[in-house]
Amino acid sequence: MADQTNAAAPETAAPDMAGLTKRQLKRMKRFDNPWNNPKLIWGITLLMGIIALGIFGRIFWDTDLVFTGAVMPSQAPPGFENLRGQAGLASSPLGTDVAGRDLLALLIVGAPNSLYVGMLASLIGMSLGIFLGFTAGYTGGRIDDVIRVGSDVMITIPPLLILVVVQASFGDITLTMMAILIAAFVWQSPTRLIRAQVLSMRESGYVQMARLSGASNRHIMFREMLPNLVPYLFGSFIANVTTSIVTAVGLEVLGLGPQRVPTLGRVIYDAIDSAALTRDMWWWWGFPTVLLMVMFIGLLLINLGLDEVSNPRLRRL
Amino acid sequence: MKKTTQMLLGTVAMTLALTGGAFAQDVARENTVIFDLDRTIPDPENFNWMTDGTGIRRMHGAHQAMWEPLFILNYNTGEMDPWLATEAASDDDGDVWTISLREGVTWSDGEAFDADDVVFTVNMALENEELTAREVATLRGQVASVEALDSHTVQFTLNNPNPRFAVENFGVRIFGSFLIMPEHVWSAADDPATFTFFPPIGTGPYVYASSANNRAIWDRAETWWGAETGFMEMPEPERVIFLESGGEESRAQLMIAGELDAAQNLSVGTFEAIQAQNPDAIAWYDSYPFAVADPCARQMEINTTVAPWDNANMRRAVSMIIDRTQIVNIAAEGATTASSTMFAQFGSMSPFIDAVVEAGYGLPATADVEGAQALLEGEGWVREGDYYMKDGETLSVEIHVNSASTEYTRTIDMVVEQLQRAGVDARSVPVENGVFWGEVLPFGAFTMSYSWLSCGSVNEPWASMGRYTVADVVPVGERSPGFNNTPRWDTEAAVAYSAIVDEMETMALGDPAIPGMVAEAYQHLDAEMPFIPLVQAFKLMPFSTTYWEGWPTANNYYNHPFFHWNSGHQIIHNLTRAE
Amino acid sequence: MARYLANRVFTLFLTVFIAATLIWIIPRLSPVNPVDAMLGRMASGGGTIENSGALLDQLTERFGFNDPLIVQYWLYIKNTLTFDFGLSTASFPTPVAQMIATALPWTLGLMLLALILTFIIGNLLGALMVWEHTPRPWKVVIPAAMVFTSMPPILSGLLLMYVFSSTLGWFPLTGAYGIRVEPGWSLDFIGSVAHHGILPAMSIVLVTFGFWALGMRGLMITVQGEDYTVLAKAKGLRKRYILYKYMIRNAILPQITAFALKIGMLVAGQVLVERIFAYPGMGKLLYDAILTQDYPVIQGVSFVIILMTALAVFFVDLLYPLIDPRIRLGA
Repeated sequence: MADQTNAAAPETAAPDMAGLTKRQLKRMKRFDNPWNNPKLIWGITLLMGIIALGIFGRIFWDTDLVFTGAVMPSQAPPGFENLRGQAGLASSPLGTDVAGRDLLALLIVGAPNSLYVGMLASLIGMSLGIFLGFTAGYTGGRIDDVIRVGSDVMITIPPLLILVVVQASFGDITLTMMAILIAAFVWQSPTRLIRAQVLSMRESGYVQMARLSGASNRHIMFREMLPNLVPYLFGSFIANVTTSIVTAVGLEVLGLGPQRVPTLGRVIYDAIDSAALTRDMWWWWGFPTVLLMVMFIGLLLINLGLDEVSNPRLRRL
Repeated sequence: MKKTTQMLLGTVAMTLALTGGAFAQDVARENTVIFDLDRTIPDPENFNWMTDGTGIRRMHGAHQAMWEPLFILNYNTGEMDPWLATEAASDDDGDVWTISLREGVTWSDGEAFDADDVVFTVNMALENEELTAREVATLRGQVASVEALDSHTVQFTLNNPNPRFAVENFGVRIFGSFLIMPEHVWSAADDPATFTFFPPIGTGPYVYASSANNRAIWDRAETWWGAETGFMEMPEPERVIFLESGGEESRAQLMIAGELDAAQNLSVGTFEAIQAQNPDAIAWYDSYPFAVADPCARQMEINTTVAPWDNANMRRAVSMIIDRTQIVNIAAEGATTASSTMFAQFGSMSPFIDAVVEAGYGLPATADVEGAQALLEGEGWVREGDYYMKDGETLSVEIHVNSASTEYTRTIDMVVEQLQRAGVDARSVPVENGVFWGEVLPFGAFTMSYSWLSCGSVNEPWASMGRYTVADVVPVGERSPGFNNTPRWDTEAAVAYSAIVDEMETMALGDPAIPGMVAEAYQHLDAEMPFIPLVQAFKLMPFSTTYWEGWPTANNYYNHPFFHWNSGHQIIHNLTRAE
Repeated sequence: MARYLANRVFTLFLTVFIAATLIWIIPRLSPVNPVDAMLGRMASGGGTIENSGALLDQLTERFGFNDPLIVQYWLYIKNTLTFDFGLSTASFPTPVAQMIATALPWTLGLMLLALILTFIIGNLLGALMVWEHTPRPWKVVIPAAMVFTSMPPILSGLLLMYVFSSTLGWFPLTGAYGIRVEPGWSLDFIGSVAHHGILPAMSIVLVTFGFWALGMRGLMITVQGEDYTVLAKAKGLRKRYILYKYMIRNAILPQITAFALKIGMLVAGQVLVERIFAYPGMGKLLYDAILTQDYPVIQGVSFVIILMTALAVFFVDLLYPLIDPRIRLGA
């Protein structure tokens, strides 16, 4: 219950410093600089960690070990045993898969690749969604109809169908191409949802006011309305990064991703396809999953942190 | 629009109501044998196998429990075990065949099975071009006419002499055979191409009980002709189920839980994991390689029209660079053996394989990189840094591989690594299954590719060797007929090879001259390497002895263990309840 | 209002028509034609294909590829609008409508249930993340639980299978119902279906609720600052009443649109979960059809998806002005 009263404090009461502990006072001070937000910092640190893994990994570890047959297959990390009772080797600190690829090397190359695909796909998709959603919702009329029908049509087409055809026509695709393809399937929802929000905001007091005071359309759209949507948009962005990474896994499962470029999804899929769970090769699916989770937590913390920066009421004492 | 929704929901409700109601009698688990089905049954109430291109209307138990073949080819002895028929013989030219049917065979509804059924079914196949199952198309291409000599003797007149006629069409050589359908049911069909044959009947000891997208259930009949005539005893399992499993991991879990008695292909590591938790799990061999070879040995096809690989020495160099043992150990996890020739290494093929090896054309299991590099240098390539160069061009190759299975991609990854280390800039090009088989292979849109297109021979050499004759050469961009000679090999050596192989085509099976001719023809393959045999195909199909014993293994080799084939009858008949 | 309605009905038909045309065009852009694909599948099963030339002609004729494209398209549009999707080419001559009718109930049953569950759970948890009266432990547990969102559904499915089926033995491993029950309206069957559906549904809920929660959280933050919420608090209304009637009710609107949009993906989106549990749904039907170049099945399944999504979006568009009076009609 104490938590609850504390939580409600910033809104209900005028500052009553007497009731606060020293620690809380110290935290209060930190609000002088909203960017000095622990969640934000932790989130960025985690994501930087993934990127650092990619950069420093390449310097300190031999990434040629991602190729088939590079090391002893099916080895556990040191200190563990595989099903055949062989003890793990120090030369493969995270173990190896059944095709003799070093897991550490796979993660060093794969993790930044996955992050790249997820971020790029989400960025393209969201930008397109924001642009079209605002345009449709604010302008209305014919333009609205065209955008709406266009996004509805694209929502209904099964992505798999298009991807199979693209892959069949172009052969092996690059990471960037895959990101663009995935982006083609994530812009529709934001478009639709932002359009709906804009429609509802258009009639709200502050927009009416701005309009009366002669503000330009662009000013109203991006200065008055967009900031209100930021928490939602950023939440969607994070969700879309994750969706894109997971979608990429799905594509790779169907043989539709870049085949020679390791990604976390590909590693997990290979593990599943070779029954790593049944074989007790937990390191094979476990480490890449942990990295996926780290990425997600990083993005989530950034999301929470940014919200606190932009919205002081969310800050906690 | 509301109406359409209603309509849709109505259909759904109707389907459920129609399929519902009938309750099957419960059969105890220990009296049931459950086989694995590795795909969905798209149309569970259609039993017209003659219009089905993939075999799914048969492999869910229909042709293992209900429809019986005339003969079953024994992979160990190379002989045909008689089943519905007792004997098949040809005249001296090999273009008139007489097949004698067994007396006393009846359909499960009591009608007699006789020559009229055979003639009716064959005529149906000959007259209806719309029947497009592989076995039907094969038969239609070979048979000119058919007639019943008496109630149990059928005579076939062929378009061309064919000493393999019986085994190719009626002997379950690979997967299926031309199945005989009951005339008294099918003659009522307006159009054999759209007839669904539901509910189906057969001559086998099991009758159809029920089917759905993910399973088919067959119950033992009260009586069976085989038990009545003393051909064989009634099989022990009271119920046979084919159950769809979803992928390797799910299959392994079902095997561990004892919910499957026989599973489809698994990897060695998975099998070992199953064995660790379920000691009743067995495989073809007790130890490595565990898996059994299937008839489609793995190889790399080389397009002989693409430079620099149009040069036989370049192809030979690639073959020498390949370390088959490493492929066995890494890509197959030790589940297979290196190929020494193009043939699948069954007991029935050993006379021909031995002849080739004795003549000195057998392939080594390990690499000879130095020898290969000498060949390359002899062709004017010079190693500069990582790769060989000539006239400012790097020696490079793209290898197309089907991305549908890790077996394929891993094998080619391995080959790519070996070539890279030897100085060839190789790259794998993974392609989606449909594109690979529908576009890359038949139209020759590849430089090298991983496949098994010499597949065919099981008890004689021609079925495989006949696939590389010059008669089947077409330009790149046109379909190779029947997926034959996709390397488009048409040099003088190929002509010489074709002459020998064409002569073999009409020679009687078992002719003592054949092994020598195989070796003679093989010298051209060895010299020019239009394709490079890699390793034997491997199928690790685990069985569980928890409920049933008598599974086929290397020590109990009554036949191969491919229970999804038409030969599955033999397996079911050999099962005995585990005590 | 009448103009608004007319506009929506028109765009509904337009959407369905354009989408139906696209799903006819797209598969035909593939370099592989279904006849070659079918011969390829035969060839991959073993030795040579004898008589392959005749077979090729026959299949081409059967699939109707001898007609000019415009005729093929015209027939397709005409038949599709009357729900006649033709005969499957890969499993000839089974009517596509029949294949869809068998698969659809499973998809609707399982996936709709999973979607509704994840919608409720996700939105509630998302709202609780923002609500100032949420007990502290929840505020930690909810974001922590959301890490499952980052897992590929195929992995979460397998992990659940491993824990709850293999190790604990609580739920069956595969299938939509037991091998000892026959489909029908019986208690045995319904019980079996429920028992088999729990794990696949759980694996979908586990990996998707986080998306709803994230979206809802963002919306709640916006709503929290709105005048009406502040006013309601000032009036001293009960906390829960404010949460449900003022905050969630307003924040949920865009989520309802998102729900409608997800209906299409619900059919096509969970192929992998259907695969590992050998669940006979629409996702697998579509997946197999795409891999076998089975145009009629691709078109049939896609058309059902198109229709469902377009209708869902249509109804949301109609309902929106009713639940959100702020939107002016006919604008």
